[in-house]
Amino acid sequence: MKCAEVRKFVRLYLDSELDAKHSFEVEQHLESCAECAGLFEAEKKFDERLGRFLRHGQMTRPFWKKIEALVAPRPFAKAKILWPLALAASLVIAAGTVLVARSRPLDLANAVEECHSAYVHQITTPEFSGAVPTKIAQQFGGRLDTAAFNYRPSEPGFTSSGARLCHVGGVPVALILGHCAETPVSMIVFRKSELDHFPQTKRKLESGDPIACSRSGRYQFAARFIDDHVVCIVGDRPRPVLEDLLKTLRRADG
Amino acid sequence: MDREEQRDRFLSLLRPIERGLENYSRRMVFDRRDSEDALQNAVLRAFRAFDRYHDDASFRAWMFKILTNEIFAINRKRGRVAEFEIAVEPEEMEEFAGLEFASEMPISWETLADALDEELVTALQSLNDSERAVLLMRAIGDLRYREISECLGIPLGSVMGNLSRARQKMRDAILRARKRSLL
Repeated sequence: MKCAEVRKFVRLYLDSELDAKHSFEVEQHLESCAECAGLFEAEKKFDERLGRFLRHGQMTRPFWKKIEALVAPRPFAKAKILWPLALAASLVIAAGTVLVARSRPLDLANAVEECHSAYVHQITTPEFSGAVPTKIAQQFGGRLDTAAFNYRPSEPGFTSSGARLCHVGGVPVALILGHCAETPVSMIVFRKSELDHFPQTKRKLESGDPIACSRSGRYQFAARFIDDHVVCIVGDRPRPVLEDLLKTLRRADG
Repeated sequence: MDREEQRDRFLSLLRPIERGLENYSRRMVFDRRDSEDALQNAVLRAFRAFDRYHDDASFRAWMFKILTNEIFAINRKRGRVAEFEIAVEPEEMEEFAGLEFASEMPISWETLADALDEELVTALQSLNDSERAVLLMRAIGDLRYREISECLGIPLGSVMGNLSRARQKMRDAILRARKRSLL
């Protein structure tokens, strides 16, 4: 193949459009002709540079992801379609959880139920009225104070029959026994620092609720902070009645 | 093959050429904002017709053909009608197969960098639709002459003629850049 012929075919050769026979002849000529080989190299570089320029440009990935999603909805895309259903299911579960949580008695309510039940069934009776006897005060072990025994509702419906030292869940408490509309009602008072023993109630009271209410067995329960004490009232009375009693609490020495 | 398998196969063929399709579309649309519309329409159209696609056909060429049709349809709406050169007669093909000016090409391309890109952009914009389509299908799509001919529905001679003219215009751009860099 002569130079003129090779130059006619070299562009086709570079584009891989020449058949095997002509390709071989072009290659043979380029090996023996420096001038044609130079032209070939220059054209090859031109191709490379032009190709680099034309192919330059970043792929827009988010755009292709969008297109691919239109072509082939993936499992998560299906999930997106079902999101209202998933949301509804989540709400039902969440509501159920809240209801269950609400219907489940607070830990402190559970703990004081036994105490109050013993009072209702006259198993537990008052030990004293008025000032705390020294003998009893000596049993506080530094975990309770006499002031805990001085709380009384100013509500005229409440009458106290006395108090006694008791332990609820291992915590020493002042148990003030009384009646409200002839129904036994117990007041349990202990130091705020002991509330760690009742984490549910602690969370509830520290979440901003002024009064934590619950139900344990047949008794209603309500609790609140007063100064550095936790004061609970439990009894077979409507919850608002117990809440009113709590709201009107006064400390005799205060 | 069920629908899911068909999607997987379609995407496995599409992914390797997504970048090339995007580049081609950007450089072919009259208004660059139309590029994504053209691509999306083309891909969805191709997927709908995928059951008629045969293994022995080049998926790359098939996709470029569909995309080109979308681009031309969009460009027509923009008032730009695609113009194709008439077929080149067989005896004229020699003219387009040869090298007209390779001896004048620069030795060091790096020294031209900025000026070169600028000139190449201008030159690319100066190409007519058929020249640009053929050049881009060859350079970006790596399509064979025959495939380009089928994509655009033009004779093989026209592919070679358009490609030769397009390359010549790009070479001229390189020469201009070279002259600018020597000033």
